[in-house]
Amino acid sequence: MSRFFRGGDESSTESSSEEEELYSTSEEEEEEEQEEQESSEEEDEEEEESDDEAGPQKKGLSRFLVDQASSESEESDVEGATKVKSAKDKRFDELEATITAIQNGQKINDWGSIANEFDKLNRQVIKLQDGGKAPKSYIKCIAELEDFMNETLAKQKVTPKKMNATNARGLNAVKQRIKKNNKEYQAQIDAFRKDSDAFMESDEEELPLPKATKVRFQEPVSGEPEDEDDKGFATVPKRGGKAITYSPESIQKHLRAIIESRGRKSTDRLEQIRVMEELNKVAETPYLKIRVLQTLVSARFDLGTGTASSMPLEHWKAAEKELAALLALLETHKDHVVIENAEEWDDDEKTPVLGPDDKYIKVPGSVVSYIERLDDELTRSLQSIDPHTSEYIERLTDETSLYTIILQGLLYYETIRKDASLEVPQESLNRIIQRRLDHVYFKPAQVVKILEENAWKQISNALDSAITPRSYSSEAGKLIHVLCDYLFEHSEGIIRARAMLCQIYFLALHEEYDRARDMMLTSHLQESIPNFDVATQILYNRTLVQVGLCAFRKGLIYDAQNTLQDICGSGRQKELLAQGVMMQRYGQVTPEQERLEKQRQLPFHMHINLELLECVYLTCSMLLEIPLLAQIGSSPDIKKRIISKTYRRMLEYHERQIFTGPPENTRDHVMQASKALAAGEWKKAITFIHSIKIWDLMPGAEGIKAMLAKQIQEEGLRTYLFTYAPFYDTLSIETLSSMFELDSRKVAEVVDKMANHEELAAAHDPVTETVIFRKGVELSRLQSLALALSDKASNLIETNERTLEMRTQGSANAFSRKDGRHHGGARGGGQRGGRGGARTGGNTQRQAGGTQFTGGALGAAVRA
Amino acid sequence: MASEPTTDGVASLPADYDLLHKLIPRLDRHLIFPLLEFSADRLVGESGEVKDKEKAREITQAKYALLNKTNMIDYVANLYCELEGLDQPPAEFAEKRQKVLSQLDKFEQESSKIMELLDREDVVNNLRSDKIANLEFLKREHDVTIEMVNALYDFALLQYSCGNYNDASDLLYRFRVLSTDNDKVSSATWGRLACEILTANWESAMEELQKVREGIDSKLSQNPLAQLHHRNRLMHWALFPLFNFDQAREPLLNLFFNADYTNSFQADSAWLLRYLCVAVITNRRRAKNPGVHQKQMKDIARIVRQEAYEYQDPITRFVHALYIDVRFQEAADQLVLAQEVMRNDFFLLAHVDEFVDSARHLLFESYCKVCIRFTLEDIGNKLGLKGNEAVKWIVNAIRDTRVDAKINYKEGTVYINHQSTSAYQQVIERTKGSFFRSAVLGAAIARN
Repeated sequence: MSRFFRGGDESSTESSSEEEELYSTSEEEEEEEQEEQESSEEEDEEEEESDDEAGPQKKGLSRFLVDQASSESEESDVEGATKVKSAKDKRFDELEATITAIQNGQKINDWGSIANEFDKLNRQVIKLQDGGKAPKSYIKCIAELEDFMNETLAKQKVTPKKMNATNARGLNAVKQRIKKNNKEYQAQIDAFRKDSDAFMESDEEELPLPKATKVRFQEPVSGEPEDEDDKGFATVPKRGGKAITYSPESIQKHLRAIIESRGRKSTDRLEQIRVMEELNKVAETPYLKIRVLQTLVSARFDLGTGTASSMPLEHWKAAEKELAALLALLETHKDHVVIENAEEWDDDEKTPVLGPDDKYIKVPGSVVSYIERLDDELTRSLQSIDPHTSEYIERLTDETSLYTIILQGLLYYETIRKDASLEVPQESLNRIIQRRLDHVYFKPAQVVKILEENAWKQISNALDSAITPRSYSSEAGKLIHVLCDYLFEHSEGIIRARAMLCQIYFLALHEEYDRARDMMLTSHLQESIPNFDVATQILYNRTLVQVGLCAFRKGLIYDAQNTLQDICGSGRQKELLAQGVMMQRYGQVTPEQERLEKQRQLPFHMHINLELLECVYLTCSMLLEIPLLAQIGSSPDIKKRIISKTYRRMLEYHERQIFTGPPENTRDHVMQASKALAAGEWKKAITFIHSIKIWDLMPGAEGIKAMLAKQIQEEGLRTYLFTYAPFYDTLSIETLSSMFELDSRKVAEVVDKMANHEELAAAHDPVTETVIFRKGVELSRLQSLALALSDKASNLIETNERTLEMRTQGSANAFSRKDGRHHGGARGGGQRGGRGGARTGGNTQRQAGGTQFTGGALGAAVRA
Repeated sequence: MASEPTTDGVASLPADYDLLHKLIPRLDRHLIFPLLEFSADRLVGESGEVKDKEKAREITQAKYALLNKTNMIDYVANLYCELEGLDQPPAEFAEKRQKVLSQLDKFEQESSKIMELLDREDVVNNLRSDKIANLEFLKREHDVTIEMVNALYDFALLQYSCGNYNDASDLLYRFRVLSTDNDKVSSATWGRLACEILTANWESAMEELQKVREGIDSKLSQNPLAQLHHRNRLMHWALFPLFNFDQAREPLLNLFFNADYTNSFQADSAWLLRYLCVAVITNRRRAKNPGVHQKQMKDIARIVRQEAYEYQDPITRFVHALYIDVRFQEAADQLVLAQEVMRNDFFLLAHVDEFVDSARHLLFESYCKVCIRFTLEDIGNKLGLKGNEAVKWIVNAIRDTRVDAKINYKEGTVYINHQSTSAYQQVIERTKGSFFRSAVLGAAIARN
């Protein structure tokens, strides 16, 4: 094969292995795809090698051959010859080409290339064997080759001249293989040897080969390959249109032919679709119409095969229309049902008629699968469109029609579920409800309402759903609740978990934090989520984030931070929420994994704003971390409690900078606010936080800003007290109140709280309204170091005990006493007064108060 | 996914804190009766006047509806008369009565043989712990059939329905010894629990409760939802012994604080929190181990905080204000309201004083912790005490608790002396056990 052809071939191999390039549906590329499928990759490499060795002198001829090869097979497609034959023809051409190459090799005594070509030849011939008989040309070739080889060997003995290394190796290889190989074809070879001409002539007509050769000799004359292509294009519609007249009677036959050819390599899907569109026009009975529509929709879906490319837009729309037509048809003709467990109708001559005992004409097929596929295709197309273009928005409008279809499908399944004799599995209904849920759970109630209303408008008034009556459409919350409850009761495993997550997501989106949190906790999903599939894990992560955001909007800073920690603290939000592929640092991801990851990306309109998320997370971290940092002050075990590592790292980085300009992005704003807050300048902190633009994206931005201002005031007060406590004996509550512009009752409350939780070594004197700081609690450096040392010593002992326990696997009963001692130690720790004790006190209090669902499904699982 | 509709926590009228409606679905018909009786009593004023005629009638109606399905015909007939204003109950009641009596006779006969057998010394001595073997033995020796055993159960049911709780309990006990039907045995256990509660036989009620609990934990582990409902039911039933039998306090609190049970009532019946709060707070003096009590207080504060959005009443708000918000004034206010609520609660009526006393102590302790000095008037207001009474109370409180405080009578203030452990003492505390632990560790290594 020539470079020319290889060039084309290679590119197609590449494009398919990467599977990124979108195929246009031109004839030529179709062709290439077929070619590519036939030749294995391994083969390609070898061929390339042989090409190199074969040298330039062969080029002219082989190019000529290749042109024929490709043009010929195109031609055969075009002619509408049976597909099988055309593929075979092509193989023959390849075979011919290889044989010529061998002959060329013989001429110049190039054993290296002969050996390669010979191997290839043998591989090719296996595919072409027909009833155990190899093609004549092959027999001829190997017979000649054997002769030539013997000749060469004989010569070799006589002449002292050595062959070069490649040649010698090639010769040896051929020698060994040809003997073994030729034994198989001994009979044919003998026949050939006897009378070579007669053998070749004898049954040439039976083979497709001569036909191919005929073409081969004609075509090069007629013109260049480009012309060929043009011609090919032109002929398709003409021939298609002319050849077949469609009649209702023949529909079934056509359909059968199409169905049978489905999935074959050389099927021209576009042509089939055209045929079926015609068929649809002539189909008269509902049965035929249903059949045609079914096949047509599947054929359209076939266009979108291949993992990366989505199906073309016009076909999606057409498929959507046809699906709608199908559902409408099923709706009007209640005696026809499409169900999974129906039997195939085998008789092409007749259509099934309603027998006296039958209630239905059953057509095999799965409506829910069509709908799911349609949905998937839309998602795929949305994934590939740039979300910032108007094209994306246009495409998104198709969701409405898709949603209508889903709703119709749901109604259809509800109807056929009513009849127990049809044995429609519950699972189909669950699947379709799941799809419906997937389209609404992440949307605000108003949007769902519009979507629902539009969908119901399309559906005739007579119909109503038993599960989700029409009246529910105005109340999104109720709708979601009903859908989720239905799934929860009627399904299990993943669908059940997903239903729950969707409901939690929706609740969180609509400010029902308590219910969302309760459901999250009672679902116990955090324990089992690692066992679910990746898509569900992503949904779990999304839900977790949404719950966290909801907590934030409610002003529950601690809960928000705690909930968001796992996702945002990982620094891999994008990946965990499937909203973008992570940059791969070490290239440890195979293309396969990368492709999978791309596939599960969510379309843009489902995204949770990552910048907003980061902003919320950092703000929460700031409100918790800054007082904490002030509290632990300069004590030696400063590193002990860290709420958010990410935040700490950013803060440290920010502090290291010599010059800090005015804040530019969200992060800068939060960092500068943190600095101001730590210095007690709460007003400045509020200004920084308020100037973050992204708050406007949140519903009720003003309320949130006010909430944040209040939080900052309070935390500012706490920070101030922690930081400056050592420098005061007493502090008037009045002063504090004016300093932080807080109500004096509020200040007293904060102080009381801190004193009660032993965070602050101070007491409140209600008589004079002052805060009195206790003396003697401030530790000297030596004292705090001594405390730290004693802590470390007891930690060491504990670690040692644990290590030993692990070693002995609990067989050491010496530790039966250990627990008692252990408690003693812990109590000792608890009695630490003053600042030291304050830390532990505050710690436990905080943790005990928090919600305990954490543990997002982390990355290892996502990647798996 | 079960979540009850949020109770209206804003309402301040005591009537809105009435949990009767919440409790009823989880109690047995016969157990509800005392509650209704109590509500009716609350309506009767001190002079014997009925304050709210309509309400009273409503309750009587409820009582009638409640008992109509039981076989306590005489009482039902009386109620009917009261409702309809009749002197003589209609004939249908007499009819019913007759029917029940004949049924009783019938069952008595059916079960007489087995009852007699079980009374005989020689038979009882031959019974072993193996139920199947026992049944075999009785079948072989005395022609006892499984039907006869089941007759015991039915008879017990009828007795119970007639209000003869002692007899019913006895019958159920016998039935349980012999029956091998797991479902019936577990309902027999519930039945006995009800009987024991209704006859105020607390000790055996506790035994039965323990048995029911074991049953729930072991048999229902495959069905989480049923388990949840049964646990909640059990906790509701447990309220009877909890507030009526002192020895039951400790084990029942342990039951409530068991993680499974805590989750159960948090999920489905958050109002139990009120009773739990009262039980824990009043347990202050009784608790043998102050550590345990402190831990329980901490737990209860945590639960109150978690459930704050779902259930609130003055009692939980008191806990919330004291331990979470540290707002003493609010806690004091809620304490006043709480008394009113408790007086209207069947279970808590008897514990009002005890609760108030304990709550005052808790308030005082917390207050001392936070404040360095306060006036007697101030604390008196907060505790709801006046003048000398307050002083007396505080002196007692200081004596009882380990608060280091002094009263300055002239200024009318109390000084609190906060002491902190010195750093040296802390170091000593922390390293105290080290030597011993190391020695144990060394010994363990040497042994291996």
